[in-house]
Amino acid sequence: MSFISVENVKFSYDEDKKNVLNDINLKIEQGEFVALLGHNGCGKSTAAKLLNAMILPDEGVVIVDKMNTSDEKLTYEIRRNVGLVLQNPDNQLVASVIEEDVAFGPENLGVPPEEIRERVDRALKTVDMYEYRKHAPHKLSGGQKQRVAIAGILAMQPTCVVFDEPTAMLDPNGREEVMNTILTLKQNGITVVLITHYMNEAVMADRVIVMDKGVVLTEGNPREVFSQVNLLKKHSLDVPQATELAYKLLGIGLKFDEMPLNTDECVDYLEGVLK
Amino acid sequence: MSIIEVKNLSFVYGIDTPFEKKAVEDVSLSVDEGEVIGLIGHTGSGKSTFVQMLNGLIKPTSGQVLLAGRDIWEKPKEIRNIRFKVGMVFQYPEYQLFDDTVYKDISFGPRNKGYSEKEIDEKVRNAARFVGLSERLLKESPFDLSGGEKRRAAIAGIIAMDPDVLVLDEPTAGLDPKGKNLLLAQIMQYHKQRKNTIFIVSHSMEDISRIADRVMVMNKGRLEMLDTPRNIFAQVEKIESMGLRVPQITKIMMTLKERGVNLPDGILTVEQAFFEVVNLLKKEGKI
Repeated sequence: MSFISVENVKFSYDEDKKNVLNDINLKIEQGEFVALLGHNGCGKSTAAKLLNAMILPDEGVVIVDKMNTSDEKLTYEIRRNVGLVLQNPDNQLVASVIEEDVAFGPENLGVPPEEIRERVDRALKTVDMYEYRKHAPHKLSGGQKQRVAIAGILAMQPTCVVFDEPTAMLDPNGREEVMNTILTLKQNGITVVLITHYMNEAVMADRVIVMDKGVVLTEGNPREVFSQVNLLKKHSLDVPQATELAYKLLGIGLKFDEMPLNTDECVDYLEGVLK
Repeated sequence: MSIIEVKNLSFVYGIDTPFEKKAVEDVSLSVDEGEVIGLIGHTGSGKSTFVQMLNGLIKPTSGQVLLAGRDIWEKPKEIRNIRFKVGMVFQYPEYQLFDDTVYKDISFGPRNKGYSEKEIDEKVRNAARFVGLSERLLKESPFDLSGGEKRRAAIAGIIAMDPDVLVLDEPTAGLDPKGKNLLLAQIMQYHKQRKNTIFIVSHSMEDISRIADRVMVMNKGRLEMLDTPRNIFAQVEKIESMGLRVPQITKIMMTLKERGVNLPDGILTVEQAFFEVVNLLKKEGKI
């Protein structure tokens, strides 16, 4: 059985309105890094909220680590296991000192003080913000704030972290910092679900799921998904510029074994062709 | 003719406190009527403080902003008029919608500017058309619109004041690729017809390279570079050292050039790159 399993789920925010999620099925394995793509209003964020029981399905079931999210007795345990990081870092920090902010989660879980200390230090080291532990959050850059928000989740020792457009408000450096942190989480065995509009981020995932109108449009590893340039464009999504260029060259008869997805792959490919 | 002239502009936060911080330091530039200026820089580089001095929301600590040759702070009591001439669209402007219909919300600016009802009606409908909001939506509550529509309604509220200079602070943040491309195309369409001056702040180097005539690069409160996108993004190392990136396609083409492939500097779009690569292939008889 998959670590996260969404089966035939339908959901609408308002009984009279049409379904935001329309018979959706998702399976995510433990330790997997999955990117969720789709235009605004396609149901990505709603799908994310299902994963930690913020919303419950109208029909179908959501199982996280063998726990059914509709079972109210398990809600607390599910939320401890599935952390959520949102777009705006300023809305996610509550304390006036960074290490206190990170301690907020475990304190509320009733973790003993010595262990909280340990968890906070470890979480801050993981996101590379340990040296700022005594600082005030409002003086940090956007990327640093987001990393502190991630540390706050890590201190609860989740098995899965869901990121809902975590880099939308950040500058290029901040985006890179957050993406590096996400890759670190994956290396530590944490399951990652990343919702993003940046295709350059989605190509780093193990698997990409594209949603449209409340259903899964296509899924596969990044190369499989981003090779379908026409399909993505038709559903108002982009591909990385590296892929777009290769795709155009394919159109005039150039051949390649694998669709380039990032800067390095595209450079290597073109160097081979042009030199 | 230059519409905006910025002379040695500086702003210091918290003067004479332990938190004193120079947000903008000695920035000078002159912007011609009808130019599109892209403004990039890392978080905290002073971009937002700078643009807020353009319409007098923040009063400079020293230096001047001249609008059509006159210091905007010449008569401090009339600073309000400057805000009709230099329209400012903040980040996430949809959070500033407030009235009970989209129409009323968009008409707030022109009404305060003192236009007649007939003029207001014309301005509101024109502005809505520019940003691609259908007539039908004007009667709706702004809070019933989708995220992209809300953003458009908020921008229309500024455009309806018919400003000579339009300042947009990250207008496409949080929009999906389609919404982003559509909004940029509409802004550029508006710019073509109205021929006004635009400042656009963005973290998307791809967007900036597509639409800006010139790019201002701010770093630690200073204006570090001011040039065409082509010349700016040709300086990969300098841009990266300031915590910024060049567009992916520019990086790919620059790296190839470094590895000895004969390509020009500062390729900014996929179309341009495609053109250059095809040219090379033809020259070498490979296609």
